[in-house]
Amino acid sequence: MHLHKYEKWWLIFGVGTLITFLLILGYGAFYLGTHPQSHGITIDPQEIEAEESFKPENLGLTKVDEGQYVLNVVASAFNYDLGTDEEGKPVKHIQIPKGSTVLVQAVTPDVIHGFNIAGTNANMMVEPGFISSMEVTLNKAGEYTLLCNEYCGSGHHMMFATVEVTE
Amino acid sequence: MMKKKTLPNSSSQEPNLKGTIISVSIVGFIIVASWFAVFGLFLSR
Repeated sequence: MHLHKYEKWWLIFGVGTLITFLLILGYGAFYLGTHPQSHGITIDPQEIEAEESFKPENLGLTKVDEGQYVLNVVASAFNYDLGTDEEGKPVKHIQIPKGSTVLVQAVTPDVIHGFNIAGTNANMMVEPGFISSMEVTLNKAGEYTLLCNEYCGSGHHMMFATVEVTE
Repeated sequence: MMKKKTLPNSSSQEPNLKGTIISVSIVGFIIVASWFAVFGLFLSR
Protein backbone atom coordinates (compact mmCIF):
# COMPACT_ATOMS: atom_id res chain seq x y z
CA MET A 1 0.00 0.00 0.00
CA HIS A 2 1.30 3.38 -0.92
CA LEU A 3 1.02 6.12 1.65
CA HIS A 4 1.95 9.73 1.18
CA LYS A 5 4.77 10.94 3.43
CA TYR A 6 2.46 13.41 5.20
CA GLU A 7 -0.15 10.75 5.77
CA LYS A 8 2.49 8.66 7.50
CA TRP A 9 3.44 11.62 9.72
CA TRP A 10 -0.17 12.14 10.70
CA LEU A 11 -0.77 8.44 11.36
CA ILE A 12 2.33 8.29 13.57
CA PHE A 13 1.08 11.36 15.45
CA GLY A 14 -2.40 9.87 15.84
CA VAL A 15 -1.24 6.46 17.03
CA GLY A 16 1.37 8.11 19.25
CA THR A 17 -1.34 10.23 20.89
CA LEU A 18 -3.46 7.13 21.48
CA ILE A 19 -0.57 5.31 23.15
CA THR A 20 0.35 8.39 25.23
CA PHE A 21 -3.20 8.76 26.55
CA LEU A 22 -3.53 5.03 27.28
CA LEU A 23 -0.32 5.26 29.31
CA ILE A 24 -1.61 8.35 31.16
CA LEU A 25 -4.89 6.51 31.85
CA GLY A 26 -3.04 3.45 33.14
CA TYR A 27 -0.73 5.58 35.30
CA GLY A 28 -3.71 7.42 36.79
CA ALA A 29 -5.76 4.30 37.39
CA PHE A 30 -3.16 1.80 38.57
CA TYR A 31 -0.41 3.95 40.10
CA LEU A 32 -2.29 6.97 41.40
CA GLY A 33 -5.45 5.01 42.19
CA THR A 34 -7.85 7.37 40.42
CA HIS A 35 -11.37 6.00 40.28
CA PRO A 36 -14.96 7.17 39.99
CA GLN A 37 -16.12 8.95 43.15
CA SER A 38 -18.80 6.38 43.90
CA HIS A 39 -16.21 3.62 44.00
CA GLY A 40 -18.43 0.67 44.69
CA ILE A 41 -19.28 1.59 48.30
CA THR A 42 -22.98 1.00 48.56
CA ILE A 43 -25.66 2.26 50.93
CA ASP A 44 -29.38 1.61 51.19
CA PRO A 45 -30.91 4.87 49.91
CA GLN A 46 -34.00 4.26 52.06
CA GLU A 47 -31.94 4.05 55.22
CA ILE A 48 -29.01 6.40 54.87
CA GLU A 49 -29.21 7.24 58.57
CA ALA A 50 -28.21 3.69 59.38
CA GLU A 51 -24.71 4.67 58.25
CA GLU A 52 -22.75 6.36 61.06
CA SER A 53 -21.46 9.20 58.85
CA PHE A 54 -24.93 10.22 57.74
CA LYS A 55 -26.73 10.33 61.06
CA PRO A 56 -28.24 13.83 61.43
CA GLU A 57 -25.77 14.77 64.20
CA ASN A 58 -22.78 13.80 62.04
CA LEU A 59 -23.74 15.86 59.00
CA GLY A 60 -21.77 18.89 58.00
CA LEU A 61 -18.15 19.78 58.60
CA THR A 62 -16.23 17.97 61.32
CA LYS A 63 -12.63 18.61 62.26
CA VAL A 64 -10.81 15.33 62.71
CA ASP A 65 -7.25 16.60 63.04
CA GLU A 66 -5.15 19.72 62.43
CA GLY A 67 -5.93 20.68 58.84
CA GLN A 68 -8.06 17.57 58.36
CA TYR A 69 -11.79 17.76 57.96
CA VAL A 70 -14.67 15.52 57.00
CA LEU A 71 -17.71 16.94 55.28
CA ASN A 72 -20.75 14.69 55.34
CA VAL A 73 -23.58 15.77 53.08
CA VAL A 74 -27.01 14.41 52.28
CA ALA A 75 -28.13 15.77 48.92
CA SER A 76 -31.84 15.49 48.32
CA ALA A 77 -34.39 17.21 46.12
CA PHE A 78 -33.78 20.13 46.55
CA ASN A 79 -31.42 20.69 49.41
CA TYR A 80 -27.94 20.01 50.75
CA ASP A 81 -28.20 18.85 54.33
CA LEU A 82 -25.08 20.15 56.03
CA GLY A 83 -26.36 19.65 59.56
CA THR A 84 -27.72 22.26 61.93
CA ASP A 85 -26.08 25.04 63.91
CA GLU A 86 -26.40 25.68 67.69
CA GLU A 87 -29.78 27.33 67.17
CA GLY A 88 -31.08 24.39 65.22
CA LYS A 89 -31.08 26.22 61.90
CA PRO A 90 -29.86 24.37 58.81
CA VAL A 91 -26.27 25.17 57.93
CA LYS A 92 -25.92 26.84 54.54
CA HIS A 93 -22.49 28.39 54.98
CA ILE A 94 -19.41 26.50 56.01
CA GLN A 95 -15.95 27.83 56.77
CA ILE A 96 -12.78 25.90 56.16
CA PRO A 97 -9.27 27.23 56.86
CA LYS A 98 -7.05 27.58 53.82
CA GLY A 99 -4.80 24.62 53.06
CA SER A 100 -7.02 22.09 54.81
CA THR A 101 -7.73 18.68 53.41
CA VAL A 102 -11.41 17.86 53.32
CA LEU A 103 -12.82 14.40 52.83
CA VAL A 104 -16.23 14.92 51.26
CA GLN A 105 -18.76 12.11 51.67
CA ALA A 106 -22.11 12.53 50.00
CA VAL A 107 -25.22 10.41 49.61
CA THR A 108 -28.72 10.89 48.29
CA PRO A 109 -31.98 9.22 49.24
CA ASP A 110 -33.76 10.10 45.99
CA VAL A 111 -32.33 10.92 42.57
CA ILE A 112 -28.93 11.64 41.06
CA HIS A 113 -27.47 14.94 42.24
CA GLY A 114 -24.22 16.71 41.66
CA PHE A 115 -21.73 17.97 44.21
CA ASN A 116 -19.59 20.75 42.86
CA ILE A 117 -17.70 23.41 44.73
CA ALA A 118 -17.45 25.73 41.75
CA GLY A 119 -13.91 26.82 40.98
CA THR A 120 -12.31 23.84 42.74
CA ASN A 121 -11.70 20.22 41.82
CA ALA A 122 -14.45 19.08 44.18
CA ASN A 123 -16.86 17.78 41.60
CA MET A 124 -18.72 14.52 41.67
CA MET A 125 -22.01 12.78 41.06
CA VAL A 126 -24.11 11.65 43.98
CA GLU A 127 -26.07 8.55 43.04
CA PRO A 128 -28.74 6.81 45.11
CA GLY A 129 -27.30 3.60 46.50
CA PHE A 130 -23.68 4.75 46.56
CA ILE A 131 -21.48 6.77 48.88
CA SER A 132 -19.58 9.28 46.78
CA SER A 133 -16.38 10.46 48.35
CA MET A 134 -13.34 12.44 47.40
CA GLU A 135 -10.58 14.26 49.17
CA VAL A 136 -9.82 17.85 48.22
CA THR A 137 -7.30 20.37 49.45
CA LEU A 138 -8.54 23.93 49.37
CA ASN A 139 -5.54 26.17 48.85
CA LYS A 140 -7.12 29.40 47.71
CA ALA A 141 -9.01 31.59 50.14
CA GLY A 142 -12.34 32.91 48.99
CA GLU A 143 -16.01 32.25 48.85
CA TYR A 144 -17.16 29.34 46.73
CA THR A 145 -20.59 28.08 45.86
CA LEU A 146 -21.46 24.49 46.47
CA LEU A 147 -24.03 23.58 43.87
CA CYS A 148 -25.84 20.76 42.17
CA ASN A 149 -24.66 20.29 38.61
CA GLU A 150 -26.80 17.29 37.70
CA TYR A 151 -30.32 18.29 36.76
CA CYS A 152 -32.44 16.77 39.52
CA GLY A 153 -35.88 18.32 39.06
CA SER A 154 -37.87 21.52 39.19
CA GLY A 155 -35.99 22.88 42.23
CA HIS A 156 -32.53 22.03 40.91
CA HIS A 157 -31.46 25.68 40.90
CA MET A 158 -32.29 26.04 44.59
CA MET A 159 -29.70 23.46 45.62
CA PHE A 160 -26.74 25.45 46.77
CA ALA A 161 -24.71 26.42 49.80
CA THR A 162 -21.62 28.53 50.42
CA VAL A 163 -18.17 27.28 51.23
CA GLU A 164 -15.80 29.89 52.56
CA VAL A 165 -12.10 29.17 52.58
CA THR A 166 -10.65 31.42 55.25
CA GLU A 167 -7.07 32.71 55.56
CA MET B 1 8.23 16.84 -32.96
CA MET B 2 5.38 16.45 -30.58
CA LYS B 3 6.09 15.61 -27.01
CA LYS B 4 4.99 12.20 -26.06
CA LYS B 5 2.10 12.42 -23.62
CA THR B 6 2.46 10.30 -20.54
CA LEU B 7 -0.56 8.80 -18.91
CA PRO B 8 -1.13 9.90 -15.32
CA ASN B 9 0.40 7.25 -13.19
CA SER B 10 -0.53 7.07 -9.52
CA SER B 11 2.86 5.83 -8.43
CA SER B 12 4.86 8.54 -10.15
CA GLN B 13 2.56 11.49 -9.43
CA GLU B 14 2.18 12.33 -5.75
CA PRO B 15 -0.75 14.57 -4.83
CA ASN B 16 0.26 17.78 -3.13
CA LEU B 17 -0.85 17.37 0.49
CA LYS B 18 1.02 20.30 1.97
CA GLY B 19 -2.15 22.26 2.67
CA THR B 20 -3.71 19.16 4.24
CA ILE B 21 -0.84 18.52 6.64
CA ILE B 22 -0.80 22.19 7.66
CA SER B 23 -4.56 22.23 8.29
CA VAL B 24 -4.64 19.01 10.30
CA SER B 25 -1.56 20.11 12.24
CA ILE B 26 -3.37 23.29 13.24
CA VAL B 27 -6.35 21.22 14.45
CA GLY B 28 -3.99 18.81 16.24
CA PHE B 29 -2.17 21.68 17.92
CA ILE B 30 -5.45 23.20 19.15
CA ILE B 31 -6.50 19.83 20.63
CA VAL B 32 -3.15 19.25 22.35
CA ALA B 33 -2.97 22.85 23.60
CA SER B 34 -6.49 22.69 25.05
CA TRP B 35 -5.67 19.39 26.77
CA PHE B 36 -2.68 20.98 28.48
CA ALA B 37 -4.74 24.08 29.33
CA VAL B 38 -7.42 21.95 31.04
CA PHE B 39 -4.78 19.83 32.78
CA GLY B 40 -3.13 23.02 34.05
CA LEU B 41 -6.50 24.19 35.34
CA PHE B 42 -6.92 20.88 37.19
CA LEU B 43 -3.47 21.14 38.77
CA SER B 44 -3.86 24.77 39.79
CA ARG B 45 -7.17 24.30 41.58
